[in-house]
Amino acid sequence: MKKLFSLLSILMIASLLLSACGTQAPASSEPKVLRVWIQWGDNPQQIQTLFDKYTAETGIKVEVTAPLEVDKILPALTGSEPPDILVLSGGDLVKSYYKEGLVDELSPAIKSGSIDLTDFFDAPLQQCKMGDKILCLPWGSDMYALFWNKDLFEAAGLDPNTPPATMEQLAEFSDKLTKVNPDGTLEQIGFLPDQGWGHSELYTNMFGGFWYNEDGTKITANTQPVIDALKWEQQFYTKYGVDNVMAFSSGWADAYMSGDYPFYTGKLAMYVDGEWMTGPNFISKFKPEASYGVAAFPPPADHPERANTGVASGTVAVIPSGAADKEASAKLLAWMMSPAIVAEEFCFNANLPTSKKAAEDPCFTSNPKFKVFMDLMANPNAKVVVTTPISLEFNDAWTLLEEQVLHTGADPQPLLEKLQADFEPKLAESLK
Amino acid sequence: MDELRMTDQKIWPPRFRKWSRRERDNFKIGMLFLLPWTIGFLVFTLYPMLASLVYSFAVYHARQPLEWVGLKNYIDLFQDDLFWTALYNTLYMVVIGVPLTLLASFFCAILLNLKVRGQAFYRVVYFLPSIVPTVASTILWLWILNPQAGILNTVLGYIGIHGPNWMSNPAWSKPGLIMLGLWGMGNTIIIYLSGLQDVSVSLLEAAELDGANWWQRLWHVTVPMVSPITLFNLITGVIAMFQYFAQAYVFRGFQNLGYPLNSTLFYSVLLYQNAFQWLKMGYASAMAWVLFIIILVCTLLLLKISDKFTYYAG
Amino acid sequence: MTTIPAQYPDPRLTQTEESRQRARRKNVRNFFKSLFSHALISFFGLFFLVPFLWMLITAFKSNEDVFHTPPRWLPYDNVRVEVNGQELPLYNVITPQGEKQLAAVKIVEGVGTFVDPQHPDRVVEYEIQQGETKIATPVMHVSFRWQNFPDAMNRASRPSVDASFWVYFKNSLIIAFFTIVGTLLSNAPVAYAFARLKFPGRDILFVIVLATMMLPYQVTMIPLYLFFNNFLHWGDTFLPIIVPAFFANAYDVFLLRQFFRTIPEEMCDAARVDGASEWQIFTQLVIPLSVPVLATVTVFTFLWAWNDFTGPLLFLTSPKNFTMALGLQDFQSQRTLVWNQLMAAATVFTIPIVVAFFFAQKTFIQGIKLTGSKE
Repeated sequence: MKKLFSLLSILMIASLLLSACGTQAPASSEPKVLRVWIQWGDNPQQIQTLFDKYTAETGIKVEVTAPLEVDKILPALTGSEPPDILVLSGGDLVKSYYKEGLVDELSPAIKSGSIDLTDFFDAPLQQCKMGDKILCLPWGSDMYALFWNKDLFEAAGLDPNTPPATMEQLAEFSDKLTKVNPDGTLEQIGFLPDQGWGHSELYTNMFGGFWYNEDGTKITANTQPVIDALKWEQQFYTKYGVDNVMAFSSGWADAYMSGDYPFYTGKLAMYVDGEWMTGPNFISKFKPEASYGVAAFPPPADHPERANTGVASGTVAVIPSGAADKEASAKLLAWMMSPAIVAEEFCFNANLPTSKKAAEDPCFTSNPKFKVFMDLMANPNAKVVVTTPISLEFNDAWTLLEEQVLHTGADPQPLLEKLQADFEPKLAESLK
Repeated sequence: MDELRMTDQKIWPPRFRKWSRRERDNFKIGMLFLLPWTIGFLVFTLYPMLASLVYSFAVYHARQPLEWVGLKNYIDLFQDDLFWTALYNTLYMVVIGVPLTLLASFFCAILLNLKVRGQAFYRVVYFLPSIVPTVASTILWLWILNPQAGILNTVLGYIGIHGPNWMSNPAWSKPGLIMLGLWGMGNTIIIYLSGLQDVSVSLLEAAELDGANWWQRLWHVTVPMVSPITLFNLITGVIAMFQYFAQAYVFRGFQNLGYPLNSTLFYSVLLYQNAFQWLKMGYASAMAWVLFIIILVCTLLLLKISDKFTYYAG
Repeated sequence: MTTIPAQYPDPRLTQTEESRQRARRKNVRNFFKSLFSHALISFFGLFFLVPFLWMLITAFKSNEDVFHTPPRWLPYDNVRVEVNGQELPLYNVITPQGEKQLAAVKIVEGVGTFVDPQHPDRVVEYEIQQGETKIATPVMHVSFRWQNFPDAMNRASRPSVDASFWVYFKNSLIIAFFTIVGTLLSNAPVAYAFARLKFPGRDILFVIVLATMMLPYQVTMIPLYLFFNNFLHWGDTFLPIIVPAFFANAYDVFLLRQFFRTIPEEMCDAARVDGASEWQIFTQLVIPLSVPVLATVTVFTFLWAWNDFTGPLLFLTSPKNFTMALGLQDFQSQRTLVWNQLMAAATVFTIPIVVAFFFAQKTFIQGIKLTGSKE
């Protein structure tokens, strides 16, 4: 027992000493390791290899952690050991983080690293701007388009090379592509509007609006475009029976990165997904024999001018306020944004390059399916997901509303009214 | 729980008088032995309690200064739909899940108390799931409840039942979680089993001589004899259920917390979400205090009601 | 008992036909009663056993078999054959010459390149999906895929930051070890004071100890999070999880106190008369007598620390510091849901506890009874 007690005291002293050392570690000494956290990343080894080049150039070691669950990011930002650079899957939470004092405004970093803002595509950069402040820098971008299974089109008597031209026609095609078993359950479904995750930002933009106004100063949830979009999405559930569709599609999201994904197994004929699907890590890896087409999502019949509308979202890099050495973070950020690095990383991952110079790389232009997405980003109709400082909480409320409308067949209008009423004061408060 | 009663009488009402030298020495020695607990209590219990009480009257985001707002958090809380949803979900588990677990545990304990050969093996089988770590067992049940390739719906299919979508149907997600709880109720079974083994044999034999059948003996002898255990299990079960978190956190997979349709948004999950996802730490602290009060009231209520129904031998 | 047991016949009675028949009837009745009991216990036992087995079975399934509907009760795998020095998967292919078993060299853009294992030089190409019919299906056989276990380790691991599955395992062990040390060292003296020392204020303090059992963790969670992170700067270390264990907790104090009270008071009094100090009585008399209950505390603390999810979730942020519980949840939350590997990982996570259980079965059961006992 005495031995145990002396052990205890030694341990306590040691732990206190260790923690004391931890807190008093001088920030002025040369940073040993820069920590980069990346929310996405199916191949962390490749990203690490990329950042090893920075080590080769500068001698500063970089440690990459990817992928990360969103729930793990906030505790790190509020905690005492945030990473030196954080790469988020989307820009939608950056303003919330900034408001909470978790991330830095980037002007000093842009200046010290002489980052050329004109080299960025406009749409992705837009999501980082709050007034004249720049809170993040896009690092690769995403666009969404319609994917269709050519075999199923053929089997249903449709031309496998002609996707629907309007949203109305898409619904007609979907009816033709939906097969019901004798017992009433589904065998195949034509279109699922929220396969994988919700895509309401695309549909609402197609109907000519969004749930925020353009500069993010007002909530416009209870407006016609939003209602129309939700009702349009809802029909694919109500027509085929909400319970039927839910039963049929449950568990599909689990199979996203496997050969059992419903789009590959012929259970789902059309759906919306991002550019990475056309790259080497998805369809050609999990289902090389799939025969599929990709095209811009169609506009509604009465608004042909909205053709080729895409909504840019995607990866952005931020510097956490608690980062130990901001100067080192800024240098690394500038290196990440250089066209050569952008080209290398996003060629590999098949994401849209955010640097205009990088976009000239043949790897982005040679694959005709990938080019569909490149054209969407360069198109003047390209939109951006408008975000606000209350996105953190609003997004969860929106996800719930979308679930209620699609998965229970609820009427969207009263729900939107409630959402509008709940969040109007919160947004006003946050913009004060 | 007897402890509480016994000590209650000794310490209340308190008597104030000057301590003798001997008492002072004893106090010093006693406090030396209690040192680890005293420090722990002050630093890890009392301070955080008071701090969270202070936060609960303020708007507080981790990296920004505290802003005093009085009762606003509490008022907002009672007007928050999510709060009521979470409270409903939690009460569902408390009112249905906890009694069901007790009943099933009692039933299993009776089975395991039957005089048959190989009982030791059966007991291990019934007990083993309870030591599977929560995260592992929750993931395992997600897989079992999988509507396509899961075995539960397959087995139900054998007897002609078309199983529901356990994880994506809001009406079935909580029953799914209760089932997960039933699978891991080995602890409660063992506690009941030890209670059954303590039930006096002579009392049961006397009842049999008086012509009581199996059911009457169970209802009039065994159930009252194990009632203190039921009370203990009930109170610990209710307290634990109000703090139900890890299973729900893991159960939604990579969907947002509360999936599907906020049907697994339990009180502690919403509290976590407010504190660490929306960074409303003041609001979350108010939630924590409301939870504390609910647990306190429930426990005292159960103790009060149980006075009438609990039988203490000796 | 009113009937005379058959094996002890009353010597005053001769073995009449009637009594023999009665004994036989009783035997038959007992046999059916026992059969019925076994059936009942086994039936409900399936609810506990089958999920456990399903975890193991799935852990051995191949990727092709995991999502097979309806699920199969044994793990299947694609048959592989060696052709030209390469291990290739075998397919049932409907060729114009009838159904054949061919090995697939590659499958690209809906076109499969196959080779006949009997004639390694004959290479043919077929479109796999021809209209409604699938012309090539893999040949499956029962096979336990041990490779899932190393695969799961790699999959869950993040090599670039030195966070492999074994690191999670090691982290869990470190945390469990220090939590056990802390719990044993801090709770025993406190429990002894409450059980055997007499000093003013003892009882009211004990009521406070018991009352803290009712305090939900959520009340202290937020301030503790801020205290450890922003005041002590212990973010992303094991310290916020380990250090509180060194300062006693209500459950273990209660458990140990219950046991210490069963040690005869006279023994302590005798030692006191001999001039032993309370500390000597505690360390030299009480502790050696308490080895069984300390074992119980050890086992339960291990179980609790190994199982804990909320603590690591709050305080550990970088993957190289994750515990098994957090690592497994992290693995599951990535969109790469591979159930066979997930189940393999869950099995690895569970094994230490099952081993601990079989080594210390009595201690386990005793501990549960102690916590549940009313006295």
